[in-house]
Amino acid sequence: MELTEDIIRLQREVEAFARERLGGSGVERDREGVFWRDGWTACGEAGILGIPVPTACGGRGAGLLATIVAMETLGRNVDDLGLLFALNAHLWAGVIPIVRFGSETQRRRWLPTLLDGRSVAGHGATEPDAGSDVFSMTTSARRDGEDWILDGTKSFVANGPVADVLIVYATTDPALGEAGIASFLVPRETPGLSCSPPLDKAGLRSAPSGTVSMEGCRIPADGLLAKPGDGAACFNCSMEWERGAILAMHVGRMEKQLDDAIRFARERRQFGRPIGAFQSVANRIVDMKIRIETSRPLVHRIGRLKDEGRQAMMEAAIAKLHVSEAAVQSSLDAVQIMGSRGYLREGLVERDLRDALGARIYSGTNEMQRVLVARLLGLPSSLPARGPGDRPA
Amino acid sequence: MNEPADDADGIRAAVREHLLSDVLVGEDPENLTDDLPLRTSGVIDSMGVIRLTGFLEARFSIRIEAHETGVENTDTVDAIVSFVESKLAG
Ligand SMILES: Cc1cc2nc3c(=O)[nH]c(=O)nc-3n(C[C@H](O)[C@H](O)[C@H](O)COP(=O)(O)OP(=O)(O)OC[C@H]3O[C@@H](n4cnc5c(N)ncnc54)[C@H](O)[C@@H]3O)c2cc1C
Repeated sequence: MELTEDIIRLQREVEAFARERLGGSGVERDREGVFWRDGWTACGEAGILGIPVPTACGGRGAGLLATIVAMETLGRNVDDLGLLFALNAHLWAGVIPIVRFGSETQRRRWLPTLLDGRSVAGHGATEPDAGSDVFSMTTSARRDGEDWILDGTKSFVANGPVADVLIVYATTDPALGEAGIASFLVPRETPGLSCSPPLDKAGLRSAPSGTVSMEGCRIPADGLLAKPGDGAACFNCSMEWERGAILAMHVGRMEKQLDDAIRFARERRQFGRPIGAFQSVANRIVDMKIRIETSRPLVHRIGRLKDEGRQAMMEAAIAKLHVSEAAVQSSLDAVQIMGSRGYLREGLVERDLRDALGARIYSGTNEMQRVLVARLLGLPSSLPARGPGDRPA
Repeated sequence: MNEPADDADGIRAAVREHLLSDVLVGEDPENLTDDLPLRTSGVIDSMGVIRLTGFLEARFSIRIEAHETGVENTDTVDAIVSFVESKLAG
């Protein structure tokens, strides 16, 4: 399907911005695991963070498809995928829940600086003992007068070490299971909140992730984002947008890998010929192209569905699963085509591979995306069934 | 086959039929009372709610936002019926 004129204009704008302000390989940041603060600020100043946010909330109101195309363009033109991952975590796990679930006061308090690049958001759902089974979380929220008191540990919080505000999911009543979950806006400076130094990850190393501990964190009533009983909906909403959109950067990246692989296969000569003349090299390149062509429509479809106000939970899970697997395979092919050069840091594709591996795990592992699609197709749940007779006392 | 009307009785019939065929397969329909807690007793999880809202959107031509799918609007047949009625009333 054709993109609108507005989206094509945005695409050009983002491409020019990326070339001008987000150049450089970022190999050093990857090696040292350093967040690119200047790159972040530049994205804020250029309005990148406001693209999906309605104008009534201070954003550009361009919609999700436009944002997806912008992220694709960044993925193609920016080598530091860690920065792009951080932007995505901020948008889908931080900004969108505030837009969708926040009160007017909460939106006014947080969105301006989250959209102009002065603040960073992240979210804490995963816990040491609650990964795929995220709603078994034990981080607790209990009432104390008008306030809430949060206690618990959140693992692998993207942007945690640099975040100004975290959206924290907690249970208000473990007996209620996911029906007892709420979410909270927790400012960085909240007494009792601490974050570990950045975790030493294999990839996405310039996107700092940390373990967040909360001990008696007192959150005033206006810090409640999704009330008890709405927390699971808030989390699922955030994951629907995230799964649908976060892989767009990899679609752009796969295009860049394809261009580079074609150039390399035409220039590099062995046995007196360009290596692209050898069918096993050419086939890899053809497979890279096929993966792009099958991935792009999946992510664009999420943009179109959400822009029409429709549900896209299953489509987002399918896109996440397919595109992350495609990104890993495309990176493997790119490394192989470049031979020893692809195995060097400066060749950049080994980093793409490390970055892409994370995509099979974050936003719910790919195994869990299959579980989810099966459920949404109407297959029975693999979890123990409960019936009306099993009402808790 | 005639679709039930979009009044409270029609909505209730459609919701019950969906729940009995999707979540409570093989359950005695009598056990699905209008005030049976569905979410807070774990009969439906949030994925079941996504299927339920998908069904309601298609059946009643309504759009349901994520923030409307919490326990308050989905815990009992009664709550779901009132919610759909309020959506239909615009
Ligand atoms: C780069 C990165 C960024 C992240 N950012 C965040 C963040 O910002 N906030 C946050 O809260 N979390 C974040 N996470 C955590 C992520 O959501 C979890 O890692 C993920 O949900 C899996 O949980 P786990 O690692 O504990 O694995 P586990 O749940 O322990 O799973 C281990 C293995 O078992 C499989 N498995 C488990 N259950 C099933 C099942 N029912 N059926 C089939 N297979 C199953 C899994 O697929 C996996 O292969 C991030 C993770 C990564 C890698």
